[in-house]
Amino acid sequence: MNKETQSNEYKYLIRTEKLCKSFGHLEVLKDVDLSVRKGEVICIIGPSGAGKSTYLRSLIHLEEITSGKIFVQDNLFLHRNHNRTVHRVPADQQKAMLLEMGMVFQRFNLFPHRTVLENLILAPILIRKKSRTDAVASAAKLIERVGLSDKTDVYPSKLSGGQQQRVAIARALAMEPEIMLFDEPTSALDPELVGEVLAVMRDLADQGMTMLCVTHEMGFAREVADRVVFMADGMILEEGEPKELFENPKHEKLKNFLKNVL
Amino acid sequence: MKDYLKKLINIREWDRSAKTTAIVVMAVVLLYIVLSIINVSQSEMLNNASAEVKQMVDDEKDNSRKRITITYNDFKAISYLSFTTSGAKALNEAYVGFAGKIFPADEGFWKFTGQMVNYTYRMLGIKQNFLHGVKLTLLLTTLSIVIGFFFSIFLALGKISANVIISKLSSAYIFFFRGTPLLIQLFVVYFSVPGIFGFSWRGLFDISDPEAVYKGAFIAALIAFSLNSAAYCAEIVRAAIQSIDKGQHEASKTLGLGYGQTMTHIIIPQATRRMIPPLANEFIMMIKDVSLVFAISLMDITTISKTIMTSEGSYLVFLPALVIYLIVTAIFTWIFGKMEERLSVYE
Repeated sequence: MNKETQSNEYKYLIRTEKLCKSFGHLEVLKDVDLSVRKGEVICIIGPSGAGKSTYLRSLIHLEEITSGKIFVQDNLFLHRNHNRTVHRVPADQQKAMLLEMGMVFQRFNLFPHRTVLENLILAPILIRKKSRTDAVASAAKLIERVGLSDKTDVYPSKLSGGQQQRVAIARALAMEPEIMLFDEPTSALDPELVGEVLAVMRDLADQGMTMLCVTHEMGFAREVADRVVFMADGMILEEGEPKELFENPKHEKLKNFLKNVL
Repeated sequence: MKDYLKKLINIREWDRSAKTTAIVVMAVVLLYIVLSIINVSQSEMLNNASAEVKQMVDDEKDNSRKRITITYNDFKAISYLSFTTSGAKALNEAYVGFAGKIFPADEGFWKFTGQMVNYTYRMLGIKQNFLHGVKLTLLLTTLSIVIGFFFSIFLALGKISANVIISKLSSAYIFFFRGTPLLIQLFVVYFSVPGIFGFSWRGLFDISDPEAVYKGAFIAALIAFSLNSAAYCAEIVRAAIQSIDKGQHEASKTLGLGYGQTMTHIIIPQATRRMIPPLANEFIMMIKDVSLVFAISLMDITTISKTIMTSEGSYLVFLPALVIYLIVTAIFTWIFGKMEERLSVYE
């Protein structure tokens, strides 16, 4: 109930304004404006080196942006200008806002010294201050949801790539984030394992989770996304509904890109 | 633990090398027991002495001033008896009791065997002093590695810290202690530090305690070795921490863990597994480095063997010392191997 009232309070869950990021002289992101509404599924597509991953990593503060503004639930989270911080929310608030985002990495990054269950309950107990019993109960539900109930007490090294990625998704969900960021979640997988991960993501989308996915799976983008964003050279060149964007691309670079991947 | 016992009981499931080891160990133990049972007793050996010696022992029975020294070393399976006198008509007679027979040990093979038994016996110590030297070595090694390792975690984190001052200070510490000889570090702690600050190591203990000198030297050695091993361990810890994939830090951060939590729950547990082989190496180096305490008169195996050499003038005394060191290091090599296996369960 509380969540319901909260969701009405803001217009955009995440919004960026003129986001720029350079590594030295290399400009990776140039004035990226993007807004994500609650419940929206957005897929970001584009050639490699377009800055898609860097964009996600900037949102969740794994990279410090060069300039631009990031809003979380319409509150200014970070405002930087030419590598100088103009405004930043206090540390405790910043942590709370970052916890609204869950991240899934290309290379899973599960904790290899912890079992599947321990991977899932670690942060909820430490950060969300849940009791162990509560954490285990909700972790068990999530493990079931990603179809790995028989792997609860197994170490990640004993799992296939697809299974590891499903655990990684469950681990991010265990923190009960408002939005899930997927950074090429299927790129490191063998082709036959891609389907099981996409199925979990599709299931998430169906249940109304807000998602921002960087992906090379055009089929997935076309079917599941509410909106597809095409990025190249650090800029958003085109965005729109998947049907429109895939069938009627306007930008020359998007036309070329689609010709190459489809 | 329960699983481990189950595995231990189920002998059929043991692998070949474990079976071989078990058979060898059992054979050795059995042989030792058999040899102990059939070995000659002390009185039998005393009876075997020459008439001259017996006469002398008899004469001195009620005399408080004795010219003859009787040494009896008993390892159950093998025993050594010697009579020595000093002076103009010096007399030396020695016997080795083995496998139910008594062998004169005045020359050749049995002399060598007798000496080895005698030196080993003295190095291992008798009754309340049993294993005194080995204990000292192990205590100093273990304590200095544990203290040094604890300290080294902070040094390692300091060295990779973003704070330039902390990083430089840690690097300077490591550079200094790795760049100077351990023996001089020991001298500085034992001799110079009390000199500068005006105290004495023995003064830390009760003046009436006859062991105060040794206790003081022990503390000084412990400090010197801990400071030194901290520097070496710090490099091991740093390398292990930095070898953990960057993705682990990132995943941990996105789950909301702070730097300290990431280190204690994610990075250090994984790094620990990678530290074991180089730490085992460091431990075994330290067992041998501890022999430097002979320079401050602490009685470890090295000091004891040097003392025996000075009093006996024998160059063979270092042989049992080497064997004792080999046995100690072999035991610890095995223990660290097991630890590594245990910590690798997730790989």
